[in-house]
Amino acid sequence: MILHTLNASPSSAAFTDCVSIMAKGDALVLMGDGVYAALAGTKASKTLQQTDASLYIMTADALAAGVTNLAAAVSRIDMEGLVTLTETFPRQQAWY
Amino acid sequence: MIYSLLVLSSPFSGHSSRRAAQFAHCVTARGHTIHRVFFLDAGTLASAANSVSAQDEESPVTGWAELADQHGIELAICITSALKHGMLDQVEADRHERASPTIDAAFTVSGLGQLVDAYASSDRLITFGG
Amino acid sequence: MTAATKKTVLLVLRHSPYGSGLAKAALDAALASAAFDQSVDLLFMGDAVLQLQPDQDSHPLGMKTIGRQLASLPLYDINHVYVDAQAAARYNMDLSKAPLQTRPLGGHDMHQLMVGYDHLLGF
Repeated sequence: MILHTLNASPSSAAFTDCVSIMAKGDALVLMGDGVYAALAGTKASKTLQQTDASLYIMTADALAAGVTNLAAAVSRIDMEGLVTLTETFPRQQAWY
Repeated sequence: MIYSLLVLSSPFSGHSSRRAAQFAHCVTARGHTIHRVFFLDAGTLASAANSVSAQDEESPVTGWAELADQHGIELAICITSALKHGMLDQVEADRHERASPTIDAAFTVSGLGQLVDAYASSDRLITFGG
Repeated sequence: MTAATKKTVLLVLRHSPYGSGLAKAALDAALASAAFDQSVDLLFMGDAVLQLQPDQDSHPLGMKTIGRQLASLPLYDINHVYVDAQAAARYNMDLSKAPLQTRPLGGHDMHQLMVGYDHLLGF
């Protein structure tokens, strides 16, 4: 089980590499420019859903970016939510 | 649980360095221990004592300095990266004949061995980049 | 230094050798790990495969050559080096000419590799 954190937009190599590694049982947290991958109706959010990983977005970063129209599979979390995920997942991979 | 953080992002580009500081505060608030925060590459700029922020913006140093002051958390900056980025403590300023130190007192200049010790001693190693 | 417990560590490299300071930072972290008797393995993903390009010479740029430094890793007992097979193919790389002996992996195998470590350090 891997906790992935993505801090790069969906057009980046970081996004592509992250998606190629994500698997069922993993979780992904979108932060910084990563939040744009959560936009409903985009190819990026569909790609993320197809990985079967749990999807999260940092609320503050989403609000800052005006990303309010989230794909249904993406859950909002705050900083405490991120810490909780790091408690559950034994390892984290930062993609940026 | 014991945590260490590796911060690679510059505090002057994006939000990642600030996010890392907030994360560290939250980790502590949840009762965990932070063994060390290690700053590498452009991450070392978080120690910039002489950085002047716009009036409505918080200095990147503040969030980190609070961690050191309130919780005694060690903030270690990699010496190779720090020198390259002009981040010097008093010892390094003297050694390299620079007029004055440039890092905030909350940070310590360290070798990469401290990163190795950090991950070897911690249950979690959380990386912040970008 | 007091390394209380040994941990298994994989450095996941993702960036090109000279486009940022990250390749050098990762290399330094790998060497420091070896110096403190903590073994690390390396995975070159995406544009990081370009660090394995043969015949690099960055001296004209006034920088140390990453490829040449990578070639020294086996001297420090860093022997498990993995590479993103798809990325190497994208750049038409002949990995037999790389400065290091590597093992090519597909996406699924990279995931399997990563879950075997205590810590992942993404550079």
